[in-house]
Order: sequence, then structure tokens, then C-alpha cells
Amino acid sequence: MSKTSQYSAASNGSSTEESESSRLELINLSKEFGQGSERVIAVDNINLSIHPGEFLTLLGPSGCGKTTTLRMIAGFERPSSGEILLDDQDMSKLTPDRRPMGMVFQSYALFPHMSVYENVAFGLKIKKLPAKQIEQEVGFVLATMSLQFLANRAPHQLSGGQQQRVALARAMVTRPKVLLFDEPLSNLDAKLRAQMRIEIRQLQQRLGITSIFVTHDQDEAMSISDRIVVMRNAQIEQVGAPAEIYLHPKGIFVADFVGRSNFLAVDKVHAKKKSGKVAIRVLGKDLEVEAHESALQASAPVLLIRPESIRVSKSKSEATTISGTDGRVLNVVFYGEHVEYSIETEKGNLVAVVSDPKYDEIVPIGQMAEFSFDQERAWLLPADA
Amino acid sequence: MGFLNLQNSHREEKLNVIDVTVPRVVKKLRNPMRSSSKVRLDRVTRFVLWFTLALLAMLIIFPLGNILVTASRESGREVFAALFSSSVTQQIVKNTILLGVTVGLLGTSIGFLFAYAQTRLEFRGKRILHIISLVPLISPPFAFATAIIILFGRSGIITRDLLGLSPILYGFPGLVIVLTTSFFPVAYMNILGMMRSLDPSLDEAASILGASKFRVFVKVTLPMLIPGIASSFLLLFVESIADLANPLVIGGDFTVLSSRAYIAINGDYDVAAGAAYSVVLLIPGLLVFLLQRYWAQRRNIVSVTGKPSGRISPVESKSAKIALLAVPFTVSFLIVLVYITVIVGGFVKVLGVNNTLTMEHYSYVFSGIGNEAIFKTTLLALIATPLAGIFGMILAWLIVRKIRRGRQAMDFLGMLGIAVPGTVLGIGYAVTFNHTTKLGNFGIVPQLAGGGAIFGGALAIIMVYTIRSSPAGQRSGIAALQQIDPAIDEAASSLGASGVVTFRKITLPLIRGALLTGLMFAFARSMTTLSPIIFITTPDTPIMTSRILSEVDGGRFGNAFAFSSILIVLVLIALGVINLFVKGRPTLSLTTPID
Repeated sequence: MSKTSQYSAASNGSSTEESESSRLELINLSKEFGQGSERVIAVDNINLSIHPGEFLTLLGPSGCGKTTTLRMIAGFERPSSGEILLDDQDMSKLTPDRRPMGMVFQSYALFPHMSVYENVAFGLKIKKLPAKQIEQEVGFVLATMSLQFLANRAPHQLSGGQQQRVALARAMVTRPKVLLFDEPLSNLDAKLRAQMRIEIRQLQQRLGITSIFVTHDQDEAMSISDRIVVMRNAQIEQVGAPAEIYLHPKGIFVADFVGRSNFLAVDKVHAKKKSGKVAIRVLGKDLEVEAHESALQASAPVLLIRPESIRVSKSKSEATTISGTDGRVLNVVFYGEHVEYSIETEKGNLVAVVSDPKYDEIVPIGQMAEFSFDQERAWLLPADA
Repeated sequence: MGFLNLQNSHREEKLNVIDVTVPRVVKKLRNPMRSSSKVRLDRVTRFVLWFTLALLAMLIIFPLGNILVTASRESGREVFAALFSSSVTQQIVKNTILLGVTVGLLGTSIGFLFAYAQTRLEFRGKRILHIISLVPLISPPFAFATAIIILFGRSGIITRDLLGLSPILYGFPGLVIVLTTSFFPVAYMNILGMMRSLDPSLDEAASILGASKFRVFVKVTLPMLIPGIASSFLLLFVESIADLANPLVIGGDFTVLSSRAYIAINGDYDVAAGAAYSVVLLIPGLLVFLLQRYWAQRRNIVSVTGKPSGRISPVESKSAKIALLAVPFTVSFLIVLVYITVIVGGFVKVLGVNNTLTMEHYSYVFSGIGNEAIFKTTLLALIATPLAGIFGMILAWLIVRKIRRGRQAMDFLGMLGIAVPGTVLGIGYAVTFNHTTKLGNFGIVPQLAGGGAIFGGALAIIMVYTIRSSPAGQRSGIAALQQIDPAIDEAASSLGASGVVTFRKITLPLIRGALLTGLMFAFARSMTTLSPIIFITTPDTPIMTSRILSEVDGGRFGNAFAFSSILIVLVLIALGVINLFVKGRPTLSLTTPID
């Protein structure tokens, strides 16, 4: 880590201070592909402001428009309409080579005919920097990424994680105002992915480069981002900090996409003016829960309870019928640090994840179980289309 | 990283051990041919191995060896000596090299422009351009030469009648035009495949690092295409120096090694001299073949980084587009013109002189010897193609899955049939099989070729077709087998299947698609090949290509055009039938990818 601090010290005063980070704004941005009956709207009139130094993630299923949005920012796709403002300057007419941006590709896109050193130096050579300076800058970045001992290797001689690091070094060395990541971790194995997330995040925070990260992996999005933009069908579904997206989703789509969910149909709903909470009746119990602002207007709001919020115990009442908070265990999977239950209830099947299980409290298949959850952990949301 | 809590501390340890994976990755790359069986070969496999080696010896090693023996006779030695002393002989070598280099450069450039247009430009007629550019691959090259003479020759329809010119095409310029147009599709396919496999995000990466479109091309795209471009050049070089048909039809006084060898045998009746010329031709052919293999192996390295993504952004500047498309469209126009000439030429009396419609060429072609040639050529090619397919597959299977030592040598021997110029192969067959081969006083191989041979010499022609075509099967078989996880074979043998049963029941069905496609081109090649055939064909077994040549020689262009048209139609029918077979069959996509 000492080499890392050397780099940040060296670049101090140039790009590390947050005040020098750039703001990126997308205004009414749209992209259509094809013509006539084959016309596809890939991005539909989105507006987004990315704060200076922010790490923003575009999250969504494939085909939601997140990659197209990123590629428009990079300049690989020309917007059908709308503006891309970088520090109030319109970028949308510029070709990629004229935009002060760096990008890390899903395939890494390392030039196979160049060494690691030449790959990283490429952008600086294009900028016609003096040879001495190129040598210095490349040296710094390689050291930062612990790559200096690989400088003369060819890309195909590197492991996936090393290729990823070289790709990152190559994107950073030109000191771009915005860093773009196109699913850069999807070709790595799970452990390496988790570790690279931390590395990317730390580096980004140290350099303060405004960053946009595209992924379809919600764990990745939550662990790396300042804010997450959930996209669906070419539009933005919700923008918010990871905790907000996970705990206070605006609808079923977002809730379902960023984690596993139980949705319970509720019977009675009315607002409690004082607390800002909502009184509902569900599974035969009266609860006061937090709610999304549009949940009350919705014709049929549903209650979101995450599997980890549900407690499960052996039924004490010796009930044999399913009603209220008594259910029948359909399946039990023991994972070690947690147990996963599938429980049949009067409102349908519930998934419950009980962590730190106790040996004799595990409810076997076919037995009745009593389940419960804190009303503070529930969230009322509109059942969106 | 001190802030990380206890649970995360193991991640930090992992950080230092990533590099352990490197040697494994590298090893995998260096050893692309994985062998599944490390056990001794079973009896049946061993029998197959020896049988294959015997066939190879008979089909290629024996004839090539005989060429060397024949060439070392007195008049052959004189040819070798003349290489250093006679200016006439030296001129022939110079002509050959000049022709090879010119066609190589021009053909590769045109092939590159076609490939560039397909992959990097958006324009109307892209698909048609692609199809037109493949037409020369499946038609007899002298159809081209003849049509060019009629269109652009001294009394050509376009040159004299339209433009009032009388250029002399016979010789170097005509040869260059005809050979380039005939062979550039090889370069086109080669470079196209390579450009398609380039990861578009490499271009994008370069452009977002600040490189302009032109610089991206020069610094990133072009360097990665060098192996493809170089190997295309070499292929075209060899194809054009090995060609015999065109130097005979349009070569005029411009003598090259192949036509000199032909004259030595069919004009001077000096077999030893002919063999000697063909040995001189063989050397660059084999050298290029080896170089090409080297490059093909290097090429694998280029496409290892991750999976491709992104999209090629097409060139949009209108003037650049026009400049880049000028050559492909001109060449395509020329090809279309030539084939119209061939087709129309078969239906009129003397194209350009007397344009009265007539069926006399076709009635000539369909009667007597013409009819027999059509029937026999098709029959022999139809017999040889599946034989070649099976033989090539068996070779591939032995090479990839069964033998460990000497697999490179085996692969090389199998590919010799295509690496050796057709002229050389034909002369080899002529000197080997035109008489009974005796060991002492005991005949071990009967006379297979020439007048009085068994089956009227048909056997020798099937042998030539087979050894010329089996490399196509071998290549596609090797490519396919390398993609099939050896575990599939192992699963079959663990269920009790022997090596041969596994091959027949498991491997063969899986590689059928690749095999048939390879054979499709092999069949087209057999039907349209002349150079190896012309030395061993007999009146008993007339072959279409050599009939066409004699029609052209006799100045009966109409008959030649009718023959060529029929040949093209036959090839197209065969391709269509094979295509029907390939469609809807399970192929490689079913198999497990290897990591």
C-alpha cells in the first residue's frame, strides 16, 4: 500500500481534490435503433445528474438500456436526442477520442500486440506527451496497481484479474474527468470479483474521479456505489443510495431486482398522520409500517418483507392448519451460517432466511412453523405494472 | 486495508496469491491439442493407424518420392544445372516469382478491401458483393481466362469494339488479371474471418484513449491483421505459381515453371526434365505451407482476451466510403461481366463476332465424349469426396485424440496433398502409376494411370481427388475435435465403447456439420481442378476440365463456355444438396465448451 500512497501524493494538487472533479448531466437523453417496424427504443428520455466525484451505478436486467446509456456517454453511440453535459459543456457532438473520459471494458480490450507497458502508455503517446513524462506516469500507475513486475508481459500471459488491473491502469493514466465501467467484473470468478470491487472503489475515492459503472449484479451495485440508478425498459425506475434502493424501493420491480423479496397482499390501509406511518392489517394482525409515498394512492399496495427479516420457530400453538402467522414448512435448506425456509402461508409461499441457526430449533420439512417479523422492517409499496 | 473488519481479512490474503494462476493459463495456450487418452492404443486403433499410414504412403509419399528419383536422372540434373547457368531457365524462375509476388500483393490488397468493406462500411449491396466475391472459388479458372480474352483481348468486345483499343493480354498482364481475380477470394475469406473475430472494443478502447479513426486503424487494427495479411499473401503466392491452366490459356510467351514442366512432359516427352521443374516448384510451395502453419498457430494468441463486446462503428465520411468501395465494386462488376460472358458465350455462335443464338455448343457438349466427360467427372468426384472426408476425419481423430508422438509429422503428411502444387502432384502420379510398380520381378502395384491402365485410369483420378480433398476434411476435423471436450469421448469409453465405436457413434455425428462444409469446397475443387489431372487423364476417362482446355486450345470458345456453364451448374447443385444435409442437423453447438 505504500506505493499507492506515493501515487496519490504525487498526483496531489492535480486531480485528487474533490473540487476538481467533474459533474456529468444527461438531459432528455434518448436512443433509438433501427427504423420502421424494427425500431427499438433503447433509452427513453432519461435525465440524470452525476455529482462530482460520485460513483454511480447503472443497474438493470439485460436490454434495459444501461449499456447504451454508458456508450452514449463514451461517444460510441450517437444519441437520437438529448444532451450530455460535462461541466456544462455539451459532449454529444464529439467523437470518443475528443471526450476526456476513460473506459474499462467487459472484455478488458487490451491490445494483444502490445505489452502491458505499451498498453498503459498508449493514451499518453496519442496525447504526444514527452517520452520522459510518459515513462514516469506509466511507472506510477503500474506501481499503484502492483503491476510493475508485469510491465513487459503480453496481455495473454496475464490472469483475468491482472488483465482487469491493466485495463483499469490504462483508463486512469490519462487522468480522465469521467471513468466508465462496462460490466468490468463479469468475467472474473466470485472471489476475485469481490476483491476487485474494493480495489476499484478505493482507487476511485482516492482519485476522486466521477465514475459510472454498469452492471446487472445487484450485490456488485450495492457494495460499490454512492448511488444506484435502477433501469427498466429504457427508463429510469429509481435513483438512490444502495440502502434506500434495497430497503425503500419504489415498487415491486426494484424490490425484486435488488434482492429476494416476499410480497404480502394487505387488507386494510389508512394513513397515520402523526407518525407518517401507515396502518395496515395483514395475516390477521394490525401493523404500523413505513410506506412509499405513492403506496397510499395505489389500488392494491403490497407489503415487502425481506427473507432475512423473517424469524421462524417451531409452532408452539400445536396448530395443524395454516392461518395467520402459522405456516407449513415446504422445504428447508441448511447452508451452515444460515437456514433457508420455504413456508406455505394463507397469503402464498414465503421465503425466510434465518441466520446463525440453533441446532434444535431448525423446523423440519412438513412441520408447522410460526413466523414473525418486526413491523419496522416491513415496507409498504405500490404494486407497479 | 486496516479498516477492513475481521470477516474480510481473508480477502486481503487472497490479494497476494492471484498470480499463481498465471503459469496455468500460459500452459493451456501452448498446448492447444489436448489428448484424452494417455493409455496405450487399442488393437483396432493401431490397425487404423497403420492402414492410414499405408494409404498416405501410397497416395502422396510414394509419388513425391518418385518425382525426386525421376528428377535425378540425367535430363533432370541438366535442368537443375541450368538453374545456375542458363539465362532461359533463370528467366522462367524469375517469371514465376514475379507472377507469384504480383498476384500475391494485388490479390491480398483486393481481398483486404473486400473484407474491410464487409466489416467496416455500411452500404447497399453488401450481401451481393459478398456472394459475387465467392463465385471465383467454385468455377474453373480458365473460364475466366477465356472470357477475359473475349472481352478485353486484342479483338475483345470491350477493348476493340467499344474502345477501339487492341491491347496484348497474352502474357504477364493477362495472367495477373486472371489469377488475381481468381484467387483474391482466398485472401478475402482469410482476412474477413480475422476481421470478424477482432473484438470491436479494442477499437473503442483506442478511440476513448484519444486516438482518431485513422490512428486506431494504423495502431490497433492493422497490426492485429498482419498475420492474416501475410498468410494470405503466401497462399496467393503459392496458388498462382502452382497454377497451370491459366499460363497455358493466356500465358503466351510468358513461361513459368508449371507451364514449362507441362511442355517438358507433353511436348518434349522428357519426363525427367518435367519432374525436375516440378521439384523447383515444390520447394517454395512447401516452404510457404510451413510458414503459413507457423502463422496460423501464432494467430491463436491474438484472440484470447475475454469475450468480444461492443460494436464496430462504421466509416461515415462519404468520400472515404467511395474511395474504399471503388475497387471492390469494380472487381465485382468484372466478375459479373465474365460470368455473363461465359453463360451467353455458350448460346451464341462466336461471341462478339457472330452473335446468332445457337444450341450447337451444347449439343456438341452433350454428345459423345463431352457427355461422357460430364458424367465421369461428376461420378469420380462424388466417389472421391466422401472417401476424402472419411480419410481426413480419421487423420484428424488420430492426430487430436490418439497419437502423441509424431502428431505434427502426421498432420504435415496429411496436408501434403494440398501443400504440393497440383502440377507437381500430377507429374508425381504420372511417373509413379503410368506403369506397373515392381519389387524385383513381382508386380506390387498395377498400372493405375495412363493408356492401358486398370479401370481406364479412373482409379488414379479418384486417388488424386481424394488426396487433394482430404486436407479440407482433416482441417475441419481437427478444428472441430479440439472444441469437443475429451470427457465426452471418455464418457463413451467408460460405457464400454471401443475407440472406433466412440468415433463412429459420438465424434462423427458431432463434427458432421464442419465436415460437410469442408467437403463442399473440396468437391467444388475436385470438379474444377486441372493441373494434377492433365498429366494422368486418358481417352478412356475424359475429365471435363481437360476437355475444356482442349476446346480452348482449338479455339472453340463456344464449346468451352458451354462446358464451363455446365460445370458451374453441377457444382452449385452439389453445394445445394450438401447444404440441405447440413441444415437442421445437430452440430458442435451441442457440446460442452472447454473452459
